[in-house]
Amino acid sequence: MRTAFSDALVAAALADPKVLLLTGDHGYALFDAFRKARPAQYINCGIAEQNMVGVAAGLAKAGFKPIVYGLAAFVPVRVLEQIKIDVCYENLPVILIGDGAGLVYSHLGTSHQSTEDIACTRAIPSLTVLSPADRFEMTATMQLALQLASPVYLRVGKSDRGDVHPGPVSLKAGELLQVRKGTQRIALLATGSMVKTALELADQGLNAEVWSVPSIKPLSQQQLAQIANRVDCIVTLEEHSVMGGLGACVAEAVSAHQPLPICRIGIEDRFSAYCGTWEYLLQEHRLDLASLKQRIDAFMHQLHGKQATP
Amino acid sequence: MESFDDGAMKKFNANHIRKVILDMAYSGATVHIGCAFSIVELLAVLYRNHLQFDPSNPASPTRDYMVLSKGHGVMAQYACLQELGLLTDGDIGRYFQNGTRLKGLADAHVPGVEATTGSLGHGLSVAAGLALAAKLNKTSQTCYALVGDGELNEGAIWEAALFATHFKLDNLVVMVDKNGFQAMGPTDDVIALGNIEEKFRAFGFDAVTIDGHDEEAIDAAYTGMKTARNGRPKAIVATSVKGKGVSFMEHDNIWHYPRLTPETHAAAIAELAENEKATA
Repeated sequence: MRTAFSDALVAAALADPKVLLLTGDHGYALFDAFRKARPAQYINCGIAEQNMVGVAAGLAKAGFKPIVYGLAAFVPVRVLEQIKIDVCYENLPVILIGDGAGLVYSHLGTSHQSTEDIACTRAIPSLTVLSPADRFEMTATMQLALQLASPVYLRVGKSDRGDVHPGPVSLKAGELLQVRKGTQRIALLATGSMVKTALELADQGLNAEVWSVPSIKPLSQQQLAQIANRVDCIVTLEEHSVMGGLGACVAEAVSAHQPLPICRIGIEDRFSAYCGTWEYLLQEHRLDLASLKQRIDAFMHQLHGKQATP
Repeated sequence: MESFDDGAMKKFNANHIRKVILDMAYSGATVHIGCAFSIVELLAVLYRNHLQFDPSNPASPTRDYMVLSKGHGVMAQYACLQELGLLTDGDIGRYFQNGTRLKGLADAHVPGVEATTGSLGHGLSVAAGLALAAKLNKTSQTCYALVGDGELNEGAIWEAALFATHFKLDNLVVMVDKNGFQAMGPTDDVIALGNIEEKFRAFGFDAVTIDGHDEEAIDAAYTGMKTARNGRPKAIVATSVKGKGVSFMEHDNIWHYPRLTPETHAAAIAELAENEKATA
């Protein structure tokens, strides 16, 4: 997935000299290929993210296409006001990359973890929010972001979970991508790292249809309505707070069209308490497979008065 | 109400600009009068003699940029934009009425306003981006950014200052409106700024301190700074008087906030007319 990201950056810079990569002194090895291919289009802005986003706005006003890279804890969260006022209010074509979103920096603690970035960004008018799950979605979301010519936040989370698609995908803004068919009247809607988890859940007994949601905003109301018409309940999965994230987006949309029970699974309203591996923190937040099975079972039990999974 | 004839005045007459500000503030019942008054000469001289800006093409890719980072001084800029024909008399006359486009802080949706500010510490970074774009495009554009002294409390200002020096943005001219006051009192009492000129010099700028109401000094400073393409960004520290031009507003921080009454409005206009008579 990181190779796909680097490839997309290099391709964009080669195709258009107006594409500039701005980094807040992050991405050491990630940008080797870019710096080699297009050194003049690489700008290290130093450890000064507020200024970096303002500079990106100025560059975009003058016709450049800045891609601003930072860790999700900083871009977009630390610089939310610059994104809102400098970039989005003028609808400038700035692509904001937030890397390491979710619990990726599990050992480093709360300062580097980012479980509120979707909630923050999706409330800003004119800002598109994308969240790829694998290398194919990374390529597709980067292509979409470059085509849009308007502000985009691209959330990059745990990047080594393997493919969820068999090959390249095309993506329109708002589109949900089905990654598995199911026989039960349940839909699992997941984004980023949790798409793989949703597939694992489905493979291990929960025979649900599984959808990846790489475009969190916009989000196709039509597709959601179709899914909601077909199933009895929806389970959403995200490595993000249950407040304001994918689950909230789905609940807001579905409640307007075809209300049905939705189980929103993500980070509850709390910070991580412990140090440990990414897998360890998933357990702490009850996002590991065993915990998820229990949580979904409990939800289904409450719903139907019986266990849904064998 | 006493007034004065603007017909024979030179362009961007400071007394006239202040009168427009007073009229806007009075009819709109708005605040930030003193904050606009202190930057009148800085803007007047810039628009009159220096800013390469064609009002018939405000989005020209080769224009000079004027970024008002201290967005609460925007009434002074509105007066200049009206004179350029970018804003109508109706825009000015109906200030703050429902459904109108001129807000109380600088807003980039208004033609001639380059950045949306008012939240302090934003404009200088946007200006640095514009200046860098001019460098990358190899144009001769100059980017001017007007910041307040109180605004220098914002850390992002100093991020932008480091950036401007590192990227050799000698086409960036920062004007500091050093009126000595911020919202809650004298800057020295709130967060003391020390020697602003020396601070910018320490960050790698060419810096000069001038009287922010002396048009000749301002003109000379702009000329010197915009032509010195020597690899260093520029700072003009303009020592100014908050509320300048109306004696009962000068040096009185209360004019950050209050709204004009018919009496204070009339008295202020009368004093501007006297000023204009004296200088004419």
